[in-house]
Amino acid sequence: MSYSLNEVEAMAKKASRGAGYHWGIAEEAAYATRWLCAHGFDGCEALASLLPKSEHTDFALRTPNLACPVWHSRSGRICPLLAGAALGDYAFRLQDRAISLANVEHPIMLLPFAAVVARRICAFVTVEWDGVWTTTDGSNVSRTVIDRMIDSSTGRSLMQEIADLVIVRIDGRIGGGLHTIVPGKSRASPSPAAWDCLNQFAHRTYAPATEESRRMGAGASACDND
Amino acid sequence: MNDQPTVPLRDPAKIMRLARLGSLHQCRLSFMRILTRRMAKEGWVFTRPIFQIDAKGVGHAVYTAKAPNHSYSLIAFAHDLPDRLRSDRVIAEAWDATFTLFDGIATAGDLERLSNNVPLQEAGRVSGRELSLSRANRSVRLWSHVVESLSEGRQPDLGMIRQVGYLMRTTAVYGSGKFGAADRDMIADRVEMQPPFQAEMLSVYLTRAFVCDLVQHMASVKGGAKVVQLDPAIARQLGIGNSTGLGMAPYIINHPKIFNNWILARETAIARVRSCKTASAQEVALFHEVLESSELLHSNWHSTHPIQTGKLAQLGHDLSLLKSRIASSDLTRDFPWNRLMGWAEAALAEEGQELVASLILEPYPDLVDELAPSMADTSPHAFAIDGTMPVSRVRHLIEQNFAWALDIDWQAPQNCARLWYVSQEKLEPRLGERSEEHIGDYEQPLAIARDQAACYRALDGWQADQPIAAFLLVHPEHRHIIRRAQISLNAPYSEIRDNTISADMLPIDMLRAKLAFFGAIHFDPRSDRWVRICMYSNAPYPQDLNMSNADRWIYPAACR
Repeated sequence: MSYSLNEVEAMAKKASRGAGYHWGIAEEAAYATRWLCAHGFDGCEALASLLPKSEHTDFALRTPNLACPVWHSRSGRICPLLAGAALGDYAFRLQDRAISLANVEHPIMLLPFAAVVARRICAFVTVEWDGVWTTTDGSNVSRTVIDRMIDSSTGRSLMQEIADLVIVRIDGRIGGGLHTIVPGKSRASPSPAAWDCLNQFAHRTYAPATEESRRMGAGASACDND
Repeated sequence: MNDQPTVPLRDPAKIMRLARLGSLHQCRLSFMRILTRRMAKEGWVFTRPIFQIDAKGVGHAVYTAKAPNHSYSLIAFAHDLPDRLRSDRVIAEAWDATFTLFDGIATAGDLERLSNNVPLQEAGRVSGRELSLSRANRSVRLWSHVVESLSEGRQPDLGMIRQVGYLMRTTAVYGSGKFGAADRDMIADRVEMQPPFQAEMLSVYLTRAFVCDLVQHMASVKGGAKVVQLDPAIARQLGIGNSTGLGMAPYIINHPKIFNNWILARETAIARVRSCKTASAQEVALFHEVLESSELLHSNWHSTHPIQTGKLAQLGHDLSLLKSRIASSDLTRDFPWNRLMGWAEAALAEEGQELVASLILEPYPDLVDELAPSMADTSPHAFAIDGTMPVSRVRHLIEQNFAWALDIDWQAPQNCARLWYVSQEKLEPRLGERSEEHIGDYEQPLAIARDQAACYRALDGWQADQPIAAFLLVHPEHRHIIRRAQISLNAPYSEIRDNTISADMLPIDMLRAKLAFFGAIHFDPRSDRWVRICMYSNAPYPQDLNMSNADRWIYPAACR
């Protein structure tokens, strides 16, 4: 089944909120999930994998500490949504030096925020982990996998669950434009399992229906035969 | 215009109040008029390739609109709905008629697929080939009356026609990717789809044609040889109603940039017209005509709800004052519209003031109509927070829109009495009473003023020149508000400057604001959170649309 990108965005926002993120971060999750889908990545799968790990966590412990040369969190694992938001907010830092992040969960979710940075500072931004690197100019994405550095036994890839070290940097090597641009998509086709997972989280934002709420809450009559 | 002083835009602090937004009237920039003007100008061709409705009123029909570069088809399904199932609420599961606007010409396969999904509405799925999904219910009394009258060879009673105003009313028109429909991005580069809600407005325009055909068909079924055609003059008076509740209200809060663009376009138009040093006799004459039509519209505007009857009485009073004023004014010189608006601000209530604001735009298509495309949000990307903005700047932005909210006691019951939430029951948006219902955990982020005040307090103690990024890192709970504050930097009309969770807040004010931009008239609240309106009342039907009637059709017995 295919979904519109608006549906993906709305679902991602509600699901993230349902998992406990504040609305402002849920908005970032919505943007990120939509962006990933629009650029040919399985954003719903990424979010559906991330959210179960996020619920019941103290977000402060998964937020990167920016004071260190390598961003890391107190819990040892960085949430990509919280890190992504920080990346976008601190885009100006990238002009001085690359940013390194340790133990980032679902690092693919950093890509949309690399796009935010790229737009903000008008540069090509590359995100790299475990031999996989992706470059964006803010609108398009190019992707190259350096085969010899892929660990075939673990199948590390763009969709991997954790990356020991992620490096975000301005890519000065690119002149003229991106190569091998990943084709964009106008619809998303998440797996039923991923969509179902997001739906379950989203469901937590809906209040249980009660007779009282049905009667009082919406204002119209139950029968409109006038 | 170059040597004339420019009248500034009206102050957002005054305009962005719920009571005023709830008093807005349609104008040249309303979305349905933008559409009808375009369709006539571009010579759109309308056909009805399919009308297969049986004697019970069940079946389907297709209405196609051919624009210069694209065709659009309304696919309508008619149902035999038992009265006991008729409900306008989100929780309804069956309707008198269901619709989709198809992007292009539907094949037999498309029609098959759609017949299995569209009648289910939210319980079905549509695809990227569909631009909108909607449904409508009959006005039972008027429908029966019209069918009966025509079947017996008589025209329906004009009084009843005017009392109700529509044979069917839509109860939802979903676009923009909902339930699988095409995202707006897919069509936003088409010139006819650039202004807001054009697909939805087209859907309703064609729905009106279908409803007229359907009632005629049912009359024929009933009356056989005795049936008469509905008098075109009566058909013309009939609009499509719309019944809407809380589902629509959050839109103007959740889309601050878009809402700003609508208001800004209207305010810019108003400022341009106010800046006209003189007006021609023709322009003044046109103003008189639309004013006269407005009186007629007012006399046909019915509501039994106490909120609206009060406003209608006030508007009636304002109209008399306005008429007297016009009679004794020279509107040809000395910045006439600016003088008139200045007078209205002192002499009339908000409804009257906003009516004047809308009417003065009518004689000036050349100043106003070009603002239509600016009403869309054309930014290709979601708004990204600027982390470098200093704390002091953010504070200032919050103060600019919400200074009034900073000293409110947000714990006081009357100030936080309400709670916006979404029910598990078919995801119907509802408004609850915070003290009476245990739904605090489910609160939607629609209490902007309260949250802005909370953010402002949290910024206490932060150094003025610190980048807001530092604050956001430790206060993710305020990210939502910081984003809004930054949006407001270039969007002066983005924020409602009222408490949206207070005990006396009227959701219908929010509904009216959006619906006025659609072009709706005859706002008829059924409660503080549910309203009926009429769309395309007095508009030419597709086969009659031309350059002379495509614009001011909304003004009955007036200029076209």
